[in-house]
Amino acid sequence: MTASTLEPSPVQAPVGGPLTWVRSRLFPNLRSSILTVLLTPLLAYALYRAVLFFFVNGRWDVVTRNLTLFMQGTYPRDQQWRIVTQIIVLAFAFGVGAATSAASQVDAAREAGLPVVKQGFLSVLKRFWSVIAFVLLLLYFANTATPWLVMGGAIAAFALGSLARFIPRRFRSVGWTLSVLALVAAFQVVAGTVGYSWMITAVVLAAGAWSAFKFEGVEGRRAVVYRGLAAVAAAVVTYLVYMQLVFPGVGWDHWSGLHLTLWVSAFAIVLSFPLGLILALARRSSFPVLRWLATGYIELIRGVPLITLLFMGQYILGFMLPQGTDPSSITRAITAMALFTAAYVAEIVRGGLQSIPHGQTEAALALGLPTGKMMRMIILPQALRAVIPALVGQFISIFKDSSLLEIIAIDEFLGVRSLVHAQADFRVVAHAETLVFVAIGYWAFAYAMSRESQRLEVRLRAGRK
Amino acid sequence: MTTPEPSTSRPPLWRDVRVLRVAGQVAAVVVVFLILQWLIGNLVTNYGRLNISFDFGFLNQPTQFQIANHPQFNPRSPVWRMVLVGVKNTALAGVFGIALAGVLGLIIGIGRLSQNWLAAKLSAAYVEFFRNIPPLVVIVFFAFAVFLYGPLPNLRQAIEIPLFGTGRTALILSNAEWGVPGMRSTGNLLAFGVSALVAVVAAAVVWRWRTRLNERSGEPHHRVLWSLGVLLAILVVSYVALGGPLVIDWPQLSENRRRIASGFSINSGFMSVAGALGLYTASHVAEIIRGSILAVPWGQTEASFALALTNFQRYRFVVLPQAMRIAVPPLINQALNLIKNTSLAAAVGYAEITTLTQTSIGNGRPAVQSVVILMVVYLGFSLLVSLILNIVNRRLQLVTR
Repeated sequence: MTASTLEPSPVQAPVGGPLTWVRSRLFPNLRSSILTVLLTPLLAYALYRAVLFFFVNGRWDVVTRNLTLFMQGTYPRDQQWRIVTQIIVLAFAFGVGAATSAASQVDAAREAGLPVVKQGFLSVLKRFWSVIAFVLLLLYFANTATPWLVMGGAIAAFALGSLARFIPRRFRSVGWTLSVLALVAAFQVVAGTVGYSWMITAVVLAAGAWSAFKFEGVEGRRAVVYRGLAAVAAAVVTYLVYMQLVFPGVGWDHWSGLHLTLWVSAFAIVLSFPLGLILALARRSSFPVLRWLATGYIELIRGVPLITLLFMGQYILGFMLPQGTDPSSITRAITAMALFTAAYVAEIVRGGLQSIPHGQTEAALALGLPTGKMMRMIILPQALRAVIPALVGQFISIFKDSSLLEIIAIDEFLGVRSLVHAQADFRVVAHAETLVFVAIGYWAFAYAMSRESQRLEVRLRAGRK
Repeated sequence: MTTPEPSTSRPPLWRDVRVLRVAGQVAAVVVVFLILQWLIGNLVTNYGRLNISFDFGFLNQPTQFQIANHPQFNPRSPVWRMVLVGVKNTALAGVFGIALAGVLGLIIGIGRLSQNWLAAKLSAAYVEFFRNIPPLVVIVFFAFAVFLYGPLPNLRQAIEIPLFGTGRTALILSNAEWGVPGMRSTGNLLAFGVSALVAVVAAAVVWRWRTRLNERSGEPHHRVLWSLGVLLAILVVSYVALGGPLVIDWPQLSENRRRIASGFSINSGFMSVAGALGLYTASHVAEIIRGSILAVPWGQTEASFALALTNFQRYRFVVLPQAMRIAVPPLINQALNLIKNTSLAAAVGYAEITTLTQTSIGNGRPAVQSVVILMVVYLGFSLLVSLILNIVNRRLQLVTR
């Protein structure tokens, strides 16, 4: 990477005291000095107003009194223990995931003979400082002990989860399975285990069984059969357990607030990725019909705003399904968001596919790999690696776009505002306070994601060098 | 090229690439067709059950609702006129938003590269803040916290800022509408319009002439001065000759202070949408500008130092022309995003096409046709913008000699 700045570096690293620093950075020449003189009073005034707003005049009781509403909206209050459990299980899942990922990176480094640089606890805090600051803000606004207890529980669960680093290397995949399983469990603690929810768990466990049992020593085909049998067995066992387990929950049509925003974004991200991958491969396919279909879909979707698709979900999808099937408005919204994002993901992935030199394809074909295997083992790993930062950018964009659900009357994090300001005390006041609080919430998550994407970009570039 | 002799033993059908290709494509078509047929079949059944028709005849029926700030539109106006009003308002918010985003983004993008520590840090903070919050939050903030429940009084107690020494009002500020000076025709508007057109054409001709002259003889062209001069001269002469076809219309409140009677009134919905999207998109524009300036090779700058160009000359003739070539495609993409984002106005009730479609569906107009019209409108805007992108791209391509 060549980081060339346009301006010739005017000064050497200032070695003098603060006065030298001020002179070189704020008053190096006449034009710059004029700029500084003009900007300083503006900045001072803005800071003065901000301090007044945040610490003196602001009606922050709109947040303290409605904190639960912002977090979980109209979710039934007597079922709150489910969300509390969910947060703790999620923390456990993240702990296991982080530990497993760190351990596998250490393994990779050792294998390559590179020195292992321990990442300090502080550097992790620094990476996610915006989210941590938002959580601290929530704790500051809290007027009951519950959030503090949840926080303590979550930290303990995260610490417990990070014990996963001691899982021996042979069973590393068990760590990943455990992490994903905990994620699914966290969802089902609130949503319940009824209906088709056993399928998600079955898929996770089957994949876990497939990758855990390697049957080393058994040759070729037979190992595949054994692994398949293990996966099927895991799925069947899951099904049987779920049939015994009657654990009804609170369906997501009753969710709202920040809780809903986070889950809706997560689902839209998870669903849009495979769809987008399929679309990208179809658009690059040698079958002209597939190419036309994919191109048509992608261009159509990219030409219209998300809200039109949400309208389709809201007003039309009901007509397009047989009478009696009536998916909840949240299901319809998630479908619309996933279908919309898939088109953008497809274009990003296509960019990645096009960036792979043709020699890779030729080499794979020369080795006699069939097309499917070539894609899976040669092309896609390189293409997807190259586009991870762009994909994260797209996922930030879905997260931000989840605020559009407000327009179709779903009370997510931004939409909760209408409930808050329906209260007699806040009918005409404190609109700015509410919106600033909501903006800080969105910002904390989106900023953390964008920082992660920049970090990945730097790391990937370093890897390629 | 010689083709090898086809082998006599043909592979079995299921391994024959030619067969597989055709079969795969047919299968894809059949699957897509079946899905579509299922969805549309359900749609037809359900529409039949509810006795809704698929035609667009509803476009001629009265809308049955009033649009705020559109006095010439009444509940008896047909739905197609509502669509036109929506398209016009979408385009208006889009154009003003793009202008704001462009100017602000350029300033902030260059500011981020400034030597001045304060300017660079402020620009960086702006970009990092606005890039990471949803545009809808910004729009809603403007509509509710700045205008509706903000510091400005309602129209009854509107602030009237006088123009010094004339007894006229220059500006009316309220939380719902602002009044600014506008233009009023006193007749002869058509003739003035024609002469304005002539002026523009004449200016363009003069521009080309000066450019050619400069290319042929190397004389300094001064084409900006020449064209502006011609333009202004024709406009002034025709304005005077036609006896002042346009006069300034000063803003004024009506007797009962319920509305702004004269002048040009801007409603808060428009300001919220255009202003908020302008601020939001400016953060993206700034990043594009910064990235493109950084992408110009450092050697170009060194070369301009070697030629002893001034700072201004270096930017104007060396760096910016090359940066623009890189920046234009993503910038036009941002313009398209901004136009699509005007649909977020549905949350604050500014009467653009999405808001009006939602209201009209709520009033019982058939949803399928309404949403189809909505999508076609946005696709039209997208096509228009990509057409512009293609033309600009062709013009910006490097001309190699």
